[in-house]
Amino acid sequence: MTVDRVVNGIARGVFVFLYIPIAAVIVYSFNAAGTNTRFEGLTLQWYVELFQDAALMQTLQTSAIVAVITATVATAIGIMFALGLARYRGRGRASLLALIALPLIVPEIVLGVAMLSVFSATKIPLGILTLVLGHLIVSLPLATLVLMSSAAMLDPSLPEAATDLGCTPWQTFTRVYFPLLRPAVVAAWLLSFTTSFSNIVMSTFLSGVGSTTLPLKIYSSLKTGLTPSINALGALLILLTLVIVLLVGVSQMRRILVESRS
Amino acid sequence: MTSMTRAIQLGRKEKPKRGSLLLLIPGIASVVLLGILPLFIVARNSFAVADNYGGITDGLTLDNYAKLLDPVYSKTLLYSLGLGLLNTAVCLVIGYITSYYIVSRPAGKQGFLLLLVIIPFWTDFLVRTFAWITILGSGGPIAGVLGIFGIAGFSLIPSNVAVVLGLLYSFLPTAIFPIYASMRSIDGSLKEAATDLGCGWWGVQRRVILPLTRPGLLGAALLTFIPTMGVFVIPVLLGGGKDPLVGNLIVTLYTEFRNQPMGAAASMLLLILMLISMVLVGLLLQRSATKGSSSRTKRSSTEKGA
Repeated sequence: MTVDRVVNGIARGVFVFLYIPIAAVIVYSFNAAGTNTRFEGLTLQWYVELFQDAALMQTLQTSAIVAVITATVATAIGIMFALGLARYRGRGRASLLALIALPLIVPEIVLGVAMLSVFSATKIPLGILTLVLGHLIVSLPLATLVLMSSAAMLDPSLPEAATDLGCTPWQTFTRVYFPLLRPAVVAAWLLSFTTSFSNIVMSTFLSGVGSTTLPLKIYSSLKTGLTPSINALGALLILLTLVIVLLVGVSQMRRILVESRS
Repeated sequence: MTSMTRAIQLGRKEKPKRGSLLLLIPGIASVVLLGILPLFIVARNSFAVADNYGGITDGLTLDNYAKLLDPVYSKTLLYSLGLGLLNTAVCLVIGYITSYYIVSRPAGKQGFLLLLVIIPFWTDFLVRTFAWITILGSGGPIAGVLGIFGIAGFSLIPSNVAVVLGLLYSFLPTAIFPIYASMRSIDGSLKEAATDLGCGWWGVQRRVILPLTRPGLLGAALLTFIPTMGVFVIPVLLGGGKDPLVGNLIVTLYTEFRNQPMGAAASMLLLILMLISMVLVGLLLQRSATKGSSSRTKRSSTEKGA
């Protein structure tokens, strides 16, 4: 039993460890001392500076555009794949699953290098398009897995009933499938959005002149040193994560991260 | 399912099947065109001769791989393997302990504890990394506390300690999920039975929980080991770039040296190591399935199907 107590103590320590960095970023983002040296009272100055930084706002815009396009395309392809696979009972089902999950297993940096090789061989200029394609390949497996677990739970007699009642396939989709899948669609979109928005590995290889993303900008300014404004930005990104996790919902999140891994 | 068989009996088998195959095409095409095909091009490039600007020419050579054995690069490879193994070991041990703790809580509380792991998991990777600069740097809380006691000039940025902490922080949530997933499905009465039969705490772990958690541990190892070697942000920001990982090597070769063939060889090395570890994990899973009793075999196979 004493061992149990030690284990519990370590585990509680782990939860503290998980939140020290998050707390530090938030606390120091309000720190009035400019150089991060001591804590000298509260200020919102760094948040104000953040929004006055035109170059930073430009990268924010790039990241937002890329993330919205990526998330929308990944979700659309994911819906099709999930519905297709839910009704497909033929041979090769396991191989199809492995195929769509493949980009999760290949180290991301290798995927980034691979796409860069294609674009440089075909002389496709690096920019928004190449960023979207790169982010798509890393968010598609996630979006698809989220949607698949919901599509598998659909009662197949419902779309059949819709067809019998004279619905066209498109009407069956908009009136039957989509409303039933809506929570999973929202989750897939939001998770693809964050995956793209915070991506640094693919972007390192696939962004061009004038298409610097927000994480790339943060990374390059961190190389010269941490400023309080970056802490403020970090605090806002933590807030964004919190909102997305709560929007997706704990039970759905749990299904994605725990049940899909067992 | 029942209506599916009815549909087949009614001879409507062809229609839904063809439609669903069409729905699969965009997904398959994306992975093939944006994932698999580019990987083949990297494989080809890794054998190519570099032109004067580091571009790709048509030749066929093993030079790019041979150059990786040069002490400058082989040092990076060995260091990466070492750091990858260390990070994996620490993540597995701490992940095991954390999962054990979560599983032993009442069901209602487990969801909350899991949420506490999920939030850092989804937090921006860069934020999770630069947070350690704030904590361990010269202006952080540790330096502040030590300053009160008259110890000035504390800073762990840059240092290898910071790199190890940063890696652990980045990969721990990733490791916890699969371990928790397989630990959760263990029948609680097994633990009780083992205790009743005289197993102590260690005995219960060694004979019951550890063997049954093996698939989760192996999965977690796979998600930690090679990805750790591919990281490039952490060694730069927390380690000052002194000790690069394979990830740094690849980035430098592609974006600074513009030596594409050698960068491709380094990437292939990472991919080959990934394949080797996957085969190894597959063999270990098979062995644990055949070694166990019939009931255990059944359990692990149903788990894999889930």
